[in-house]
Amino acid sequence: MVTGVREFEEQDDVVRSLAARLVAGDESALEVIYDRWSALVHTYALRALGDAHDAEDVTQQVFVAAWRSRHTLTPSASALPAWLIGIARHKIADVREARARDARRSEAVAALPVLDAVDQSADGEVAERLVVRQAVDELPDPRRTIVLLAFWQGLSHTEIAETVGLPLGTVKSHVRRGLIQLHQQLEGVRHVPR
Amino acid sequence: MFHVDLDDLADLVLDPDATPEAVRTHVASCPACRDRLDALLDVRRLADGEPLVAPPDRVRDRVLAQVRDADPGAGTADGRRPLSVAGAPAEARRSRNRVPVWAAGLAAGIALVAGLGLGRLTGDAPATPEATDPGTVVAAADLTALDSDAARGVASAVEKDDTLTLRVSAEGLDDSDGVHEVWLINTDGKRMVAIGFLASGDTGQFDVPLGLIEQGYRIVDISVEPDDGDPTHSGVSLARGELA
Repeated sequence: MVTGVREFEEQDDVVRSLAARLVAGDESALEVIYDRWSALVHTYALRALGDAHDAEDVTQQVFVAAWRSRHTLTPSASALPAWLIGIARHKIADVREARARDARRSEAVAALPVLDAVDQSADGEVAERLVVRQAVDELPDPRRTIVLLAFWQGLSHTEIAETVGLPLGTVKSHVRRGLIQLHQQLEGVRHVPR
Repeated sequence: MFHVDLDDLADLVLDPDATPEAVRTHVASCPACRDRLDALLDVRRLADGEPLVAPPDRVRDRVLAQVRDADPGAGTADGRRPLSVAGAPAEARRSRNRVPVWAAGLAAGIALVAGLGLGRLTGDAPATPEATDPGTVVAAADLTALDSDAARGVASAVEKDDTLTLRVSAEGLDDSDGVHEVWLINTDGKRMVAIGFLASGDTGQFDVPLGLIEQGYRIVDISVEPDDGDPTHSGVSLARGELA
């Protein structure tokens, strides 16, 4: 049980020091940050915009903007991904605005503003779902596999124990710790001022 | 009053039937615990997302190229940066290195003077024909350091009798070990060619195929190369500028 918490805290330290290095202007920190969170940003843009080319552009813009405005980042563990998501949200909004402008220009889509409002209210949930997905994928195995089987596949603890060949108590403990770790990641992203 | 700890709240989410009555009673009457329980239920609800989709590698290349190009203050500890050519956006390079028309003329003038001066001093280039027919300067570039905007001399492309000559007159190059090699990098960020050494350290002229600049090989780059027999760029650039 305690190991779960320690792993989590070590992770925190890694992210905090990454954020500090970025603020200090260390380019290699940007590379590590890109490697860790570009899939999150890219998938977010892809879901929000539904266009591969726009999603690539937004991903590029987000990390370039992150570098340029790195002085505005508070080096804390949870602030970093939340901050990236915040930047992504702005860039996605810019693309939508440009699309709306184009649509108005071509006088084609009368109902566009309504559609847009629906899209944007769903955005928060899209981002949170992606954060949870990233959090589970970053769990060390066997916890990752166990949590995926429990939440994504909907298997019972007993079924999981049979599948992975671990005692039922161990499986339960992994699921419980896994849920708490996902919760902590999500809270970090939620409770940062945007 | 004590609150229910996170482990017990997690059990309430995962296996409500097995949760002790006392825990349930407390949560039902405690807003703080209720909020945490809701947050955990939210996680459970959101835990069904598809795997993330990584962007193509070219996006990474573009980000790093753009960051290095637009922010010359950033770099590795010793102030030098590894050469990043792949995927470098041509617009970004151009915007930083674009030489205004008047400045290009000025730079070309300086390059010519420098070229003539060299000719006279070394005597290896007859000054008279050079003076009567200096050729046409078709493009020029101000060279600057990569880690600052410090001037590092000029380069100019001179067309004469169907040959194109790139004249480089650098200044303030780092006097570190190794020789200075001149490269032309394509603005597509993917291709580069070595055109020769600045044997004297700072100046040199190089005949290049006529079509090269039209093909986009417009970025003049001076590297410092260790004596290691490796024909590729060392990754350490001392000066750069785009022919315009």
